[in-house]
Amino acid sequence: MLQPFRVLTPTNIEQASAELVRLGERATIYAGGAELILLLRYGMVHPEYLINIKCISGLSEICWDGQTVQIGATVTHRRLETDPLIRERLPLLADAESRIANIRVRNQGTLGGNLCFNDPHSDPGTALLLHEAEVVLARKDGLRQIALSDFLFGMYSTGLEPGELLQKVLVTPLPVGWCAAYLRVHRYQRPTLNVAVAAKLQNGAVEDARLAVGCVGPKPQRLSELEAKIRGEKLDGAKRICADSKPYLKDRLAPVDDLLGSADYKIYMAAVLLSRALSQASRSNGKG
Amino acid sequence: MMAEPLAPIATLQSFEIEITVNGGPWKGNVPAEEVLLDFLRYRLKLTGTKRSCESEVCGACTVLVDGKPISSCSYLAFEANGKSVTTIEGLASGGELDPLQEAFIRNMGAQCGFCTSGQIMAAKALLLDNPSPTYEQISEWLNGNICRCGCYPAIAKSILEAAEEYKNRR
Repeated sequence: MLQPFRVLTPTNIEQASAELVRLGERATIYAGGAELILLLRYGMVHPEYLINIKCISGLSEICWDGQTVQIGATVTHRRLETDPLIRERLPLLADAESRIANIRVRNQGTLGGNLCFNDPHSDPGTALLLHEAEVVLARKDGLRQIALSDFLFGMYSTGLEPGELLQKVLVTPLPVGWCAAYLRVHRYQRPTLNVAVAAKLQNGAVEDARLAVGCVGPKPQRLSELEAKIRGEKLDGAKRICADSKPYLKDRLAPVDDLLGSADYKIYMAAVLLSRALSQASRSNGKG
Repeated sequence: MMAEPLAPIATLQSFEIEITVNGGPWKGNVPAEEVLLDFLRYRLKLTGTKRSCESEVCGACTVLVDGKPISSCSYLAFEANGKSVTTIEGLASGGELDPLQEAFIRNMGAQCGFCTSGQIMAAKALLLDNPSPTYEQISEWLNGNICRCGCYPAIAKSILEAAEEYKNRR
């Protein structure tokens, strides 16, 4: 049994924010509940109030504004995995979403909930970093927009300020002609580690690239120095540089030992997966 | 004899809900914190749905809400308001087993049987979504339904056979 709580059902985001301000730590946002119900069961959080944001109109929408895909906070993983717009414009994200846990979790869990919980062993964040996603945060007195890389602050912590909630995620598709791949290793439902890679290849050489790694340290990270290093290299050379990048990764990713793998193991596998993902992306025929 | 759930310290809030369970209407009050698994097992005495990991990992508590599989252990019962819930008890009709149930029996798609209602409900959801799944699609869809007896080959075979049977009956 779960400890008793009350449920508030605001119908707009300003009301939700006002309740968060009024109740402070006595309340928590309830979106899909895939993570929250477990925390309640294990007694890790003791909210008196759940603020149910599922009835706020607009939060469950996916739309394309001509430049970015806007994903509302309560859109479920399953919808991101299957939605035609996402599959067409953001196939890398659709792929990463399709790997999350199992079909039941994907039916229930939301993108907003996943990002706000910010478990270091998670799929969407790594893929979204590759798209240089931004998040829109709402408070009763207005909105602000920040980069997802700043929002995903650290292990289970985010850039949300008191009274603030995640409204939507803005994701720009990869430029035309880029190829991409998302790879993960896992023994349980959560990824032990994951990598997302995108590249623009020209005559067998890497003209431009984006690399991201998740789950190795406290948060997913872009690898800008390694991206710069492989630019201009032939594909085989770029793969070798990635495979040999362990010292850099160790320095950059703040690896930690955890239940899913040792820091050394995760660094070793990150280098392997980066190299492998470049191969896979190069074979994907420009289908981002 | 079935153990009763521990009484909550004091429910702070209840919801009046109207739902359809296995085709029949149900109307009443549920505490905000009651999960669908407890609602089904203790309130409705539908004990075919099993409690196991209570972490959305094992799949033993799988039921369908509006045709979609969810972990009833971690789904608040009030969320089912206005929706249709299907459990293992709702598959047979008019004294006839569902083709999935028949196939599981025929192929011995279970050893201890504890995961079986979850396996069958997950399979039901798959066949509603995709009437002709491949072996690979079955393994992807059911990767969150764990069978510690290791009956996976017989489970997959049962689902493939049931898919054919559904088509023949149509």
